[in-house]
Amino acid sequence: MKVMSRALIVALREVRTYLRDKADLAFSLLLPIAIFTLMYGAFGGESMFHGTAHVVNEDQGGTYSTLFLKRLNELDNLDVSLLSWSEANTKLERSDVLLVVHIPEDFSTQLTSGKSTQLIFWQRGNGGPEGQIVASIVQSVAEEISQGVQAERQVQRAFLGKGIGEDQIQTTVQKLLERERQSPIVGVSEETISTAADPVNQFLPGIVTMFVLFAITLSARAIVEERKKGTLERLLTTRLRVGELFMGKFLASVSRGLLQTLILLALAYIVFQIFTPLSFIEALVVALFFAAAGSALGLVIASVVRSEDAASWVAVFFTMAMVMISGTFFPISEGSVLYIFSKLSINTYANTAFSVIIAEGGSLTDVGMELTVLAGVTAAGLILSRILFKVVPGGK
Amino acid sequence: MAEAFLVAQGLHKSFNEHKAVNGVSFTIYKGEIFGLLGPNGAGKTTTIRMLSTVLKPDRGDVTVGEYSIRHDADAVRSLIGVCPQELALYEDLSALDNMVFFGRMVGLDGKEAQAQAMAHLELMGLTERAKGKIAKFSGGMKRRVNLAIALMGYPELLFLDEPTVGIDPQSRNNIYETIEGLRDKGMTILYTTHYMEEADRLCDRVAIMDGGRIIAMDTPYQLKGQAGSPEQVTLEDVFLKLTGRSLRD
Repeated sequence: MKVMSRALIVALREVRTYLRDKADLAFSLLLPIAIFTLMYGAFGGESMFHGTAHVVNEDQGGTYSTLFLKRLNELDNLDVSLLSWSEANTKLERSDVLLVVHIPEDFSTQLTSGKSTQLIFWQRGNGGPEGQIVASIVQSVAEEISQGVQAERQVQRAFLGKGIGEDQIQTTVQKLLERERQSPIVGVSEETISTAADPVNQFLPGIVTMFVLFAITLSARAIVEERKKGTLERLLTTRLRVGELFMGKFLASVSRGLLQTLILLALAYIVFQIFTPLSFIEALVVALFFAAAGSALGLVIASVVRSEDAASWVAVFFTMAMVMISGTFFPISEGSVLYIFSKLSINTYANTAFSVIIAEGGSLTDVGMELTVLAGVTAAGLILSRILFKVVPGGK
Repeated sequence: MAEAFLVAQGLHKSFNEHKAVNGVSFTIYKGEIFGLLGPNGAGKTTTIRMLSTVLKPDRGDVTVGEYSIRHDADAVRSLIGVCPQELALYEDLSALDNMVFFGRMVGLDGKEAQAQAMAHLELMGLTERAKGKIAKFSGGMKRRVNLAIALMGYPELLFLDEPTVGIDPQSRNNIYETIEGLRDKGMTILYTTHYMEEADRLCDRVAIMDGGRIIAMDTPYQLKGQAGSPEQVTLEDVFLKLTGRSLRD
């Protein structure tokens, strides 16, 4: 009982220090919250695409180019930016824009005389994701105009020699087409099922695990700081045993990781509404296992490093390695070499467990293997850290 | 005959090829202040680390009370208090919080730790600064807190490793008076210092170490007598005669 009590006192002192250290708090809590805000800005706002069509119009004042631009301007999800030829060239050169729509000089003349013409897409590479969507919108507007022109011609041909003027035919056809545009026979409507966009489900586990791992491995400095201050030796001349000291550090680190996860997941709950109360608690259980595994590995680092700089660098390297090989921010194909390496990262198991619970609606029973691995890493880390630890070289 | 409280026998400790302590034996009697003197690198700190159970000796043993540091380190730790040379304090905590924390580590409950902390802070003249953060303390105040922490749990044997280094005369005097008061109450003290006049004033017996060995051990008066008239010779003269005048880094 006393053993646990001393470990708890050490843990409480650590947590108090953590909560008082403004820089530490800012790094471990505010930075993830800032990233979260960015995520919300990126994925949590409009669910529909909105982009800009960059257009070089060399057919100034032409009937059909004017009609084409008017139609583009009428679209809610598209802004039109008119550029000169040289401006477009410069922007493409600098990659300021990746796709420009070119309306040729003879665009209207050709159409009026019944000949075909072409819009030209100038693009860098594949035009980028936005450019590709803009291109397909522009194509559909062009097709619409093309269909209108063809319909007019066919009607004119049908009424040829029947005493109906060309203007009357054109006006009537345009009215019919306009009515069709306003009330299409086959319409498309938007229905939002959930505010949880897929990218949130995809990236949230990664962001949570990365920051939590970062923070708890940085707690590897705790032992080095004790050593540097001289408090480590002093502590070990009291009744406190090395095992109790490590347990105290471990508990403090787990509490810190859990607190951080709690804040991040609670934000996700409130902002993205991606949890049910049960899945929220299950995600916290996963966080507990992950924080325990990360903390135990942090203690292994703490046992071997001899300076705060070394602790920080090893923690940063370790975290980044764990994040990279786990495929946190990019998919890893099954059977690849990286897939094999990903099994060495605790983030892989935590990400999988979080994803199953957050994105797939699974429960803790579905992530039993992942939790077992994390528990195993915790036990191994605690044992290894105790074996490697020396108060002073040659010491106990 | 005085009762032996700490008995060190044939202590050896090496780090790689370097023999830091090479066959050190001495006895500290209950209620005495025993000085351990020596130039830098003499082996004093390694010896204290072994006596205070931080390091295990390669050979030899130490008994404190009736407990061996090899076999009953936990029991030894229940008898000792250590004031290290470094200011082993948590700067982000107050003096009181530091003392209560270390008090809990020596096995006191919360109330007892609080009561002892206040008593020791009063002894050190720091009652009014009890709740002040250590980071805001002067060097002398930190030294006094450093010593006060070692008193938590009223240890029977106190290790003081250069407790007065780098502080103002007022703080130093306060520490001297505290140490003398502790001796008067029957506490046994092992004291290391580079200030020879300090050792002369406080220590009942001193051992001078060099090269990992004890090269002289006696009362300050007797040691001074070996070098001349005790009234005219200082302990520093004896020290320099025994350890030489060459610089040690």
